[in-house]
Amino acid sequence: MSEPIIRARGLGKAFESGRVRAVDDVDLDIEAGELVAIVGPSGCGKSTLLNLIAALDRPDAGELTVAGHDLMRRRDLDHYRARDIGLVFQLDNLVPSLSAIENVEVPLFGTVRPARRRRAVATAQLASVSLSERARSHPPQLSGGERQRVAIARALVNEPTIVLADEPTGRLDSHTGALVLDLLDRLRRERGVTLVVVSHDARVSARADRVLRMLDGRIAIGDGS
Amino acid sequence: MTFFGLVVRNLLRQRVRAALTLLGISLGITTVVALGTITSGLKDTASGFLRTAGSDFVVAQEGAADLSFSTIPVERLAPLAEVPGVADVRPLLLHITTAGGNPYFFLIGIDDPVLARHPPALVAGRLLAPGATDEIVLGTRAAADLGVGVDDRVVISERSFVVVGTYRSGVVWEDGGGYAPLATVQTIAAKPATVSVASVYVASGTDPVAVATRIEADVAGLVTIASAGEYGKVDQGFAILDGANAAISLLAVLLGGIGVMNTMVMSIFERTREIGVLRAVGWTGRRVLAMVVLESLLLCLLAAAVGSLAGIGASRLVLLLPAVEGFIVPAYPVSVFRQALLVGVGVGLAGAAYPALRAARLLPMEALRYE
Repeated sequence: MSEPIIRARGLGKAFESGRVRAVDDVDLDIEAGELVAIVGPSGCGKSTLLNLIAALDRPDAGELTVAGHDLMRRRDLDHYRARDIGLVFQLDNLVPSLSAIENVEVPLFGTVRPARRRRAVATAQLASVSLSERARSHPPQLSGGERQRVAIARALVNEPTIVLADEPTGRLDSHTGALVLDLLDRLRRERGVTLVVVSHDARVSARADRVLRMLDGRIAIGDGS
Repeated sequence: MTFFGLVVRNLLRQRVRAALTLLGISLGITTVVALGTITSGLKDTASGFLRTAGSDFVVAQEGAADLSFSTIPVERLAPLAEVPGVADVRPLLLHITTAGGNPYFFLIGIDDPVLARHPPALVAGRLLAPGATDEIVLGTRAAADLGVGVDDRVVISERSFVVVGTYRSGVVWEDGGGYAPLATVQTIAAKPATVSVASVYVASGTDPVAVATRIEADVAGLVTIASAGEYGKVDQGFAILDGANAAISLLAVLLGGIGVMNTMVMSIFERTREIGVLRAVGWTGRRVLAMVVLESLLLCLLAAAVGSLAGIGASRLVLLLPAVEGFIVPAYPVSVFRQALLVGVGVGLAGAAYPALRAARLLPMEALRYE
């Protein structure tokens, strides 16, 4: 059996000087190409777990290996985030002063040169989320669903092996949310990426290969393996 | 989109704030450039005066506050003429007085035989007649300002002179003044038996620097001035102007830096989440730092360009003042604009230092949580 693409052992993360253990002794294995849903009540630690995998936060304890990188020891996490991870936030977090195509280009600054090539890569990526005609529109001119599709294109533009999505449908109406989920699922299948989605949305769980339910910082149901 | 394009876009997001910051820095740079071009003009004019009538250098009183305050007893000039390598000496008494509307009229006292040996380029008329006491040869600018020509009479320092000729030397102060008999000017200036300076002509094939060095060694109490850079030996004015310029530059960097820092800090605070997103998608702290520094530098370089243009305009406006016109011709040496550029870069870096470091050190999650 191949090594899991995401592997955590005894992973922990505490806040407020250790009083709040957001992630507590989590063991987790996720195989390449899986769609894993992490669900649970607010404050159960699912977003924190996602942030640890994305190297947006540092764990306090345990081991965490993602795509072959030991995140407990690795120092150049920017490089890891740029090449191995695609992030989709609940709020699309687009740069309002940049057009859709320019937002998709942003992660390419450290990986693709020159600017002309960046534009070509971003254009193709935007086409893959069916937003070519909105390339020059700025975020305030886009609908919520369109903004989230731009954010998905941005997450995928460096062709990461893993996409981490935190409540990607949280701010969308049910119809738009379903379209975004369709898109994420299609891209996952087409590109063979591993997709980890934190969500309250039951439709996410319905599509997932595996559902991990978290409670008080621990994985309560659907173990790590 | 290029990195530079992104930087420009960021600056344009708060146009009014960026424009006001640019205006503030530009004002400082305008002052630096205006003062620099006027100082350079003064120096150029002064160095032109050192070479009037083809002389090699000027001798003045050591420790004098100004060339016009330099006082050399006439008998002190005799040993000067004996110094090996000195071919001729041209004693001059400089007296700045009012003539017509010009408060800086250069009345130059000179013996008629000396003037005859080293005359300025005559445009009309003749030089001073031997033994004359009330004749004057005017510079073309002075003649034009006073509205007089050859054979007209002109009153200078309550003394009436007959204009016997006009000349053009190309030296602003000289063309804005006139040559009159030495004894007459000594009376007007109340400086009997003295001159202010002496132009020195060295013998053909002799090194002027060697002669100047010998004069300073052999003739006590005299200094030689061959260039504007040596004016400091008798005139602290340029040193004061240079000092003022340096102080204003420093002040411009300090005040401009605070202004830019304020702008950049506000910009970084407003964009904290956005910087978090950039870090989350893989931007390094160094790239974020480069972005902020480049934004600040671009703003300040624009201000340097605007300030330089405004500085040229300001110096021209200043020189339109009747009190200054004809006394200074502005000069625009590269060094002044290099200084403006350095001030711009200094302001940019000083203003960017804190916000750029703050932005670069932001942890992605900390920035993303920022409300």
